[in-house]
Amino acid sequence: MSGNPTSLTAPAGGRDSGPLSRNWRLLTAAAVAVAAGIAAPHVISSVLWISLLTQAVVDMIFATSVGLLVRQNGRISFGQAAFFGLGGYIFAVSIAREIATPELAIILAVVLPTLIAFLLGLIIARIPGVAHAMLTLAVGQAFYEVVFKWRELANGDDGMSVALPRTLFGFDSGMLQTPGSMLPIVWTILVMILVGFTLMARSPFGQLTEAIRENDERAQFIGYTTTLPRAVIYGASAFVAAVAGLLQTLYNGYISPDMFHWSLSGMALIMAIVGGPKIIWGPALGAFILFFFKDVAGDATEYWPALVGIMLIVVTLLLPEGFAGLAERTDVPLRRLRKGRAS
Amino acid sequence: MSISLEGRGLHRSFGGFKALDGVDIAVEAGQIRGLIGPNGAGKSTLIDVLSGRADNWGGQIYLRGEEVTGLKVHERRRRGLARSFQRTNIFPALAVGTQLTVAARALGNEGLDDVVEALSLGHLLDRPAQQISYGDQRRLDLALALVGRPEVLLLDEPAAGLTVEESLQLAAILRDLVKKWGVTVLIVEHDMEVIFSICDRITVLHLGKVLVDDLPDAIKTNPEVISAYLGSQAP
Repeated sequence: MSGNPTSLTAPAGGRDSGPLSRNWRLLTAAAVAVAAGIAAPHVISSVLWISLLTQAVVDMIFATSVGLLVRQNGRISFGQAAFFGLGGYIFAVSIAREIATPELAIILAVVLPTLIAFLLGLIIARIPGVAHAMLTLAVGQAFYEVVFKWRELANGDDGMSVALPRTLFGFDSGMLQTPGSMLPIVWTILVMILVGFTLMARSPFGQLTEAIRENDERAQFIGYTTTLPRAVIYGASAFVAAVAGLLQTLYNGYISPDMFHWSLSGMALIMAIVGGPKIIWGPALGAFILFFFKDVAGDATEYWPALVGIMLIVVTLLLPEGFAGLAERTDVPLRRLRKGRAS
Repeated sequence: MSISLEGRGLHRSFGGFKALDGVDIAVEAGQIRGLIGPNGAGKSTLIDVLSGRADNWGGQIYLRGEEVTGLKVHERRRRGLARSFQRTNIFPALAVGTQLTVAARALGNEGLDDVVEALSLGHLLDRPAQQISYGDQRRLDLALALVGRPEVLLLDEPAAGLTVEESLQLAAILRDLVKKWGVTVLIVEHDMEVIFSICDRITVLHLGKVLVDDLPDAIKTNPEVISAYLGSQAP
C-alpha cells in the first residue's frame, strides 16, 4: 500500500502504483538469482560441493511447500512427505511399468499429487489444530505403509532404482544426474516457485487466504466460503512437494519408502520453523542452514539429531520468526536509512 | 412498510435449557430495532441464529420475503445480511485497509469510503489491526459489517468495552449512516442510553421468549419490562 492512504477506492496511480514497482523489483531480483545459480557450477570447483548444494536446493523446495501451508493456511502438516514420495514414485513406477511415456510420467508425477491433496484438502484443511496435524500424519503414514509392504509395486522396503530414458522432452537426461547441470535446474525451479508464491501472496487470492488463516469465521462473515481456498493452498503446497520428490528421483535415480516417512515431514517442518514460515523464502533458508548444519554436526558426533533438536529449541525461543525474520528485522532499519538518505 | 428481516418460530436449546423458545420477530425496512433483555434472555443466540452462526436450531428466516433458512453464513452475507460481534472479530495481522479491501472484493465497494470516513479509519489503513487501539478495533469490526452496504445489519453489543462517550459517539455515527443508507438494523445492547437514543422500536426478550415489542417510550414505562429487566436503568 502507498504512503498515507485515506481512500480504498482511489483510482490507479494512488494505492496501486506500489505493487507494480514491487513486482518489478521482485522479478529483477529473481533474474539476478537465476543468473547466480547458472554461474555457480563455473565458480565452485568442487564437484562434491556442487552435488551437496543440488541436494540442499531440493530440500529447500520441499521445505518451501511446508512453509506455504503454514503461511497461507495456518496449518501444520506431518504428512507432507506423502506428496514428496508420490512425486518420485508416480514417475518411477510409471516408466518402470510402462504405464506412461517418461514425459507424461513427469507431468503425472506433479499433477496427481496436486489433485489428491486438493481433494484431501476439501476435507481436512478446514480442521484446525492438533486434529489436523494428526490427520496429515495418518494420511502420510498410510501412503508409507502401502509402498513399504506392496513389493510388486516398487520392491517394498528395498526401494527401486530408476533408469532414465536417454532423452526427456528432447534434452539429454544425463544432465539431470550431473551435479554441474542439475544445480542450475533445481535452483531456477526454486526461484520460480518463490517468485510464484510471492506474487500469489500479493494477489487478491493471497490476501484472502491470509484473511482466512487469521480468522476463518470472520472471513465467512464478509462473504467467503473458506474451504475451497484452503484446499487450493493444500494442492499448491503438494504440487511443490511433488516437484521436490520428482527432482530428487531424477537426480538420484532411486526411490524408497523413506520418501514417505513422517520423519521426513517432521524434518521439513523443522526446516520451515528454523527459517521462518511467515516469510516466503524463510523455509528455503531454514532448509539450507539445516542441510549443512546436519552435515557438520554429523561429522562431529553420532548424536547429531540432538544438536538439531537443540538448534530448534534455541531458534524457537530466541528467533520466533526464524532466521529470515532476523534478516528482515536487520534489513528494515537499513532500508529506512537508505530511504532517508535518498530523500 | 415492507418487512426486511423476519424470523418465525425460532428455537434453540442447550441441553434442557431453551435459549430461544418459539421467537417470532419481524423488522421493517429501514428500521433500527433494539433487542434488550437480561443476561441469558437469548439476545445473542437470536443474532447467531439469524446470521447463520448457530447450529442445531429450528424455525424459518426470511430476508426481504425470501427464505434464507438453509443458507450458510457467507451466502446470507452476500444476500445482504451482515453482522458485528460482541467480542471484536477482525483479522489481527492484516492491515486495516487490506481487510476492508478483501471484504469489498466479495461484497462490492459501494459506500466503502463513506464507511472509512464515518468510522474514522482513514489514517489507520496501513496499520495491522493488532496494533490499533481497542476502540479502533471495535470500529473496524463494525466497518467490516458495513462493507457492501448491507440490507440488514445485526449488531451484537457494538459498544461493548467502550466508554460512555465513545458509545454515544458510535451510536450517533451508526444512526446517521444507517438512516442515510436505509439499512435495517437489529441491535443488541446493554447500554440503554445507546438503545433509547437510536432505536425506532424495541423488542424485549425474557427466558427465550418475546416479552414485549413496542415503541421506545412505551417500553420505558412498561411494568413487565421494568420488572424483568430495566429496573432503574430506564433513562
